[in-house]
Amino acid sequence: MSATITAPRPTGGSKLSTGGVIRSEWIKLRSVRSTIWSYAIVIAVSVGMALLLSALTNFGDTTVPADQHSTILLQAATFGIYFGQLVVAVLGVLVISGEYSTGMIRSTLTAVPKRLPALAAKAFVLFATTVVVGLVASFLSLLIAVPILAGKGIDADFSDGSLIANVALSALYLGLVAVFSLGVGTVLRSSAGGIAAALGVILLLPTVLQVFAGITQAQWAVDVMPYLFSNAGLSIFTPSFDGSGPEQWQNLLIVLVWTAVSLAAGALLIKRRDA
Amino acid sequence: MIKAEGLTKRYGAKTAVNDIDFTVKPGMVTGFLGPNGAGKSTTMRMIVGLDRPSSGSVTVNGKPYAEHAAPLREVGALLDAKAIHTGRSAYNHLLAMGATHGIGKSRVDEVIGLTGLESVAGKRVGGFSLGMGQRLGIAAALLGDPATLILDEPVNGLDPEGVMWVRQLARHLASEGRTIFLSSHLMSEMALTADHLIVLGRGRIIADAPVADILASSTRTAVKLRSPRAEQLAQLLQGADVTITTTEHEALTVTGLTAPFIGDAAARAGIPLHELTPVSASLEEAYMELTQDDVEYHAGGAAAVGVAAPTNTEEVAR
Repeated sequence: MSATITAPRPTGGSKLSTGGVIRSEWIKLRSVRSTIWSYAIVIAVSVGMALLLSALTNFGDTTVPADQHSTILLQAATFGIYFGQLVVAVLGVLVISGEYSTGMIRSTLTAVPKRLPALAAKAFVLFATTVVVGLVASFLSLLIAVPILAGKGIDADFSDGSLIANVALSALYLGLVAVFSLGVGTVLRSSAGGIAAALGVILLLPTVLQVFAGITQAQWAVDVMPYLFSNAGLSIFTPSFDGSGPEQWQNLLIVLVWTAVSLAAGALLIKRRDA
Repeated sequence: MIKAEGLTKRYGAKTAVNDIDFTVKPGMVTGFLGPNGAGKSTTMRMIVGLDRPSSGSVTVNGKPYAEHAAPLREVGALLDAKAIHTGRSAYNHLLAMGATHGIGKSRVDEVIGLTGLESVAGKRVGGFSLGMGQRLGIAAALLGDPATLILDEPVNGLDPEGVMWVRQLARHLASEGRTIFLSSHLMSEMALTADHLIVLGRGRIIADAPVADILASSTRTAVKLRSPRAEQLAQLLQGADVTITTTEHEALTVTGLTAPFIGDAAARAGIPLHELTPVSASLEEAYMELTQDDVEYHAGGAAAVGVAAPTNTEEVAR
């Protein structure tokens, strides 16, 4: 054996860093097709819905009161979010469950052995990207709805900024849906299970509770209703007409709690479990 | 340098790795050998912190793996060729892995060249053969130019050229003073690649010695011979510690006697010899002797110990 036992030579060089882990997660997110498809669908559906809704709006001869113009515009611009939230929920689950199903998670956790920075970076990148996509989708939708509805006597009023703010808040909600679903996917580690659970919470839970409340007349079910993830979420950017129910910031808080709990559960388990 | 102390992993009632101590030294290739299910993969996963030990500890270059400031520069690990997202291209996989440590495109291109993946780097990993997946896994392990390399069954699925390449790579990296820890259930592979062997059976270390020592300790030093009067010669050689088997027509394998002794005996009796070959025990045989009581999954029925058991599907399938 002609081994020259040189001292192991870490050639210096760069170290594991937060910025690096974030860059890594960004490369991962942009380099799989499901991401591209999901975001394309979010934008297409949002724009399509805005187009459809504004084009089909018909008030006949009635004059719409001026204080309702903003609400109608907001509805047209954000109607696609109802569908977009489902797509984004699936994406949020897949971002992590795809790593578990392919075994990629072992590569990820070998590169970032403390684990939590990897999950945090995933959450951050997913949130930021989804919010940006949400902003593009909803403002494009607004841009399309404004001229069409103007032709029908609905004038956009940007003076108090609340229309712009609400459209922006819809994108924020989309970002939180993605992170909530990421937490669910981290806990369940399976694409099928994760998607079922995330969509169950977002889509099914409000319906089931609604039916349950209708049948049993149980007051608690009615009381709980506003605190459900998607009920609160959709109310972040749609102020209630009569001022009942939690205010917008309270709804945001409710959704933040859901998201935090989901992500914290994921963080706890990813740290503890063998990968 | 990898150092394990009292390393133990239990899954429920089953103990996969049972209180093992070992040191893997730099500057040589250390083979990690054992039947399927012996605990090799579990041990390697504990080294890089993917599995948490039930008790005991393992350090790499003096620290637990996760405590290093640049883990990928300390240890490169190929634990599972399939630990790669199937929807991502090989290039993007390496780029993402490297990005965590600020390792850029030039190094990614370098390891792609080193592993011969240029033509498929832009393709999605889902379509890769086992061999290409293995090469990509090795490329990822080399990304950080690490001082320690852990390769779990690296030649699995590789073609002969690939096997040769891994062998030379391992030897070359060891000669640069790096620590190379290589697992296999194929002893023949280890005989060609490793300097030192750690043999694991049922979660315990059953041998930890240089390859040469393990070979020498084997009791099965045999002599092959060929003679037109083989039967007569067999009778002549019979003795207490002597085993004679007829391998084919007019050919015998004798253990327990030396070649000169047999040659002299044949000459005295006037029996012509057409062949007389001392056969040093193969590592395979030495290994079989070591592990025959520790094989977790025996091939059923007639397959006797000493016959290379069909590879168990458990590890192969993963």
